[in-house]
Amino acid sequence: MTAGAATARRPTRPRRSPVVPLGIAIFLVISWASLSKDFGIGFDLGKLITNWSNLVTVLVTGSDSPARRGLLIPNFAFLDQTFEPMLETFRMAVIASVLGCGVALPVAFVVSRVTSPNLATLFGGRAVLSVVRAIPDILYALVFVAAVGIGPLPGIAALVLFNVGVVAKLLSETIDGVDVGPIEAARAGGANRTQTVRWAVLPQVLPNYVAYSLYTFELNIRASTVIGIVGAGGIGNLLFAQYQFFNWSNVSLIIIVLFVLVVAIETISIFLRRRLV
Amino acid sequence: MTAATMTGRPIRPSHAKRDMALLGVALVVVWAAVTVSIDPLKALELPGGIGLVFYKMFLEEGPDWSYLPKATSGMVESLQMAWIGTAIGALLSLPLGFFGAKNVSSGLASNIMRQILNAIRAFPEIILAIAIMIPLAGLGPVAGALALGLHSVGTLGKLTAEVIEGIDPGPVEAARASGARPIQIQRWGVLPQVLPEIVAFWLYRFEINIRAGAVLGVVGAGGIGFSLQQTLAFHRYPLAGTAIIVVVVATIVVDTASGWVRRRIIEGAGGRSAVESAEAMNSPLRADSAG
Amino acid sequence: MIRFEDASVTYPGGVQALKGVTLEIPDGQMVVIVGLSGAGKSTLIRAINGLVPLTGGDVTVDGVSVRHANARQLRQIRSKIGMIFQTFNLVKRTSVLNNVLMGRLHTTGTFRSLLAWYRPADVEIAMRALERVDVVEKAYVRASNLSGGQQQRVGIARALAQEPTILLADEPVASLDPPTSHVVMRDLQRINRDLGITTIVNLHFLDLARMYGERIIGMRAGEVVYDGPGEQADEKVFRDIYGRSLTAEDLMGEATTAAAAAS
Repeated sequence: MTAGAATARRPTRPRRSPVVPLGIAIFLVISWASLSKDFGIGFDLGKLITNWSNLVTVLVTGSDSPARRGLLIPNFAFLDQTFEPMLETFRMAVIASVLGCGVALPVAFVVSRVTSPNLATLFGGRAVLSVVRAIPDILYALVFVAAVGIGPLPGIAALVLFNVGVVAKLLSETIDGVDVGPIEAARAGGANRTQTVRWAVLPQVLPNYVAYSLYTFELNIRASTVIGIVGAGGIGNLLFAQYQFFNWSNVSLIIIVLFVLVVAIETISIFLRRRLV
Repeated sequence: MTAATMTGRPIRPSHAKRDMALLGVALVVVWAAVTVSIDPLKALELPGGIGLVFYKMFLEEGPDWSYLPKATSGMVESLQMAWIGTAIGALLSLPLGFFGAKNVSSGLASNIMRQILNAIRAFPEIILAIAIMIPLAGLGPVAGALALGLHSVGTLGKLTAEVIEGIDPGPVEAARASGARPIQIQRWGVLPQVLPEIVAFWLYRFEINIRAGAVLGVVGAGGIGFSLQQTLAFHRYPLAGTAIIVVVVATIVVDTASGWVRRRIIEGAGGRSAVESAEAMNSPLRADSAG
Repeated sequence: MIRFEDASVTYPGGVQALKGVTLEIPDGQMVVIVGLSGAGKSTLIRAINGLVPLTGGDVTVDGVSVRHANARQLRQIRSKIGMIFQTFNLVKRTSVLNNVLMGRLHTTGTFRSLLAWYRPADVEIAMRALERVDVVEKAYVRASNLSGGQQQRVGIARALAQEPTILLADEPVASLDPPTSHVVMRDLQRINRDLGITTIVNLHFLDLARMYGERIIGMRAGEVVYDGPGEQADEKVFRDIYGRSLTAEDLMGEATTAAAAAS
C-alpha cells in the first residue's frame, strides 16, 4: 500500500518531444536523396577509389618541366611572377574593405531596430540587404565583368557589395543589442536623432565595427582567389590560368604564397581584434 | 594651461599611438588607391555598365522564364552539394572538435588538432576543388560537395572546439565525481551543454555553403554556378536574369528557414510570443514620433 | 513652474500608470516622490520631459505644453530639464568628458557634433559640471572604469552641463550602497540650494525621503495620495501611501542615516 502511494506521487513520463526524431528523420531523408543517383548528385564511393590514381598523378605528375612536376613539388622559380598579382589582390582587398565598410556603417543603423527612423525604412532596408546578401561574391564578379570587362575594377565592385552585406548584417545585430539607457539619456537632454546615434550608440559599437572591418579584410583576401577566376583581377586570375595549363607546380606555389599571406593577415587581425574588444 | 592644473583638471591625454595607427592605415589606403591599375574613366563607366546589364537581364525582354526548369535544377544541385558538404563537415567535425578542446582532450593533442583544423580552413573551397576533388571525383557536383565538406570540417571543427572550451565545468565535475567513464562524461556532461549551439553552427554553415557552392560551378564542380557563368559569358542576359532570380529566391528562403530553426534551437522551444516580438520592434528612438 | 493638469498615461498594454494627476511645482523646490514600485513615480517624472507621452490631460513647463509640442519644441523643453537615472545610463565605452558633453548636444549643431567638434565654451561648461560633483580628475577616463557612485556623479554632471532649470532624478540611489547614496543625495540638495534648480527625485527609502525632501508627494496606483512638507510625513503617512505596514526594506538604515546627518 505504501509502495503504491509512493509511486502514485511520481509523475508519469512526459511524451517525448517529436522534434528531435523528426529532425533526424528529415536529415536522413534529404541526405539520402541528395546522395542518390536518381534524385541527387550521384555519389559513388567506388569511383573515388578507382580515381585515386588521378589524384596521385596530379600530386606527382612525373613530368620533367619544372612548372608541371606536380602539386607536391612547388616551383619556386615561379615565385617572382606571383608578386605583382599578390600586390593587386592586396590593393583590391584594401580598397574594397574601406569602401564596403564605409557604406555598411550608415546602412547598419538603418536596418537595426534600435536606430532605424521608422518601421517602413527598417523592413524595406532589411529586404534590400537580404537580397544583397543572397547574391554570392562570384555572381557579382560575373555580372560586373560582363558590364565593364575584366580587371580589378569589377573585382573591387564585387567585393564592396559582398562586404556591405556582411558588415551591415553583423553590425546591425550588434546595434540591436546595445544598452538603450544612454539613448534615453541623450533624448532627455534634448539631442536630435543624429546626435543620439553619434554619441549614445556609435561609441558602444565602434570596437565591434573595427573588428568586423578587419574580419572583412581577411575575407577579401580569400575571396580574391575566387573572383579572380572569372577575370576580376588579382591572384585568382593567375591561379586559374596556371590550373588550365595543368602547371601543377606553379599552382602549388601560388597556394603556398596565398596560404602564407592569409595566415599572416589573420594573425595580425586576430591580435588587433583582441586588443580592441 | 597653468589655470587648468590649478583647478585639478587632468591634462588631455595624448592619442599619439592611435593617431599614428590611423595615419598608417590611411597611407596604405592611399597607396592602394594610387597604384591599383584602374583607369579612372572606366571607373566612371561602372554604374552605367551595371545599369545596362541589369536592364538587359530584367527589363529589356524580361527574364527568360523558359530557362526556369534548367536554372531550378541547377539550384537544386547547388543545394544538394551544400547539404552533403555540410553533413560531411558536421559528422567529422564533432569528434574532431572534442579532440581540439583543451578542457576535454590533453593540451598537446588539442594543440595539434587545432593546427590541423586551421590548416584545412586556410584553403578556400575552390582550391580544394581544383587541386584535390576534381581529380579524385571528376568534374561534377560530387567534387563540389567533397570540397565544401573538407573546408567545413576545418571551420566547424574550430567552432565546435571553442564552444566546448566555453562550457560550464560543473556538470563535468559532477559526472567525474560520480565515477563516470570518460566517454560517459562527454555524453552526459558535455554534449547536452554544447549540442544546441553546435547544431546552430551547422545550419549557419549550410547557408554559407550554398553561396560557396555557387563558386564551384564556375570551375566545373556542379551546381548553378556553371549556368551563371555560361549565360553571362555568352551574353545571354535574359537567361542569366532568370538564373539570378532563382539564386536570390532560393537563398533567401533557405536563410529564413534556417535562421528560424537556429533561433528556436538557441532560445529553446518556447520562442518568442507575438507580444514580445512586437515589443522588440519598439525603440526609444522612435517613441517621439509615435506620441 | 511645472503644472500637471488632469494628466493621464495609459500604456499600450492597457496599464493605467497615471490617473488624472493635478499638481503644481513652483520654481526652486526640492520635491521627493515616494511610492511602491509600479505606483507611477517613474511615469510621473517622465511625463515632465515627454519621455513618456501623455494620453490625457496636459503637463506644462513654464507655460509650454509638453503634450502638444512637436519634435523640435520637445527638444527645446528637454534642453532645460536635466535627468538622472537609476542605472546611470552612461556610454561606458567612451570617456567621462564625452558623456558629460552629451548635455551640450542641444546647443551644438548636428554637423559639429558628428565630428566631435565641440566649442571650447561647451567643453568649459562640461568641466565646470564635473568640478561641481568632484570627479573632474576622471574627465579622460573611460566611464566603465568608474565606481557606481562616481558614475552617478558623472550622470549628474551630464545633467548639469545642460545648464537646466529643472532636474529630474529617477531612483538615483537605488543602485548604490548607503554611504554613497548620501553623498549623491547631498550633491542633489546642494545643487538645488546653490543653483536654485527645481529638483524632483523619485525615492523608495522613506528615511531618505524625509531627510532630503522639502516637499513629499506620495503616489499609489497612479494617483497622488499625499502632498505635503517633508517634516510632516510621519510613519502613518507612509503607511497610507504604501497601503501596508512598514518593513525594514523601506528604510535605508537608521545607523548610516544618523551618521550622515552628523557629518
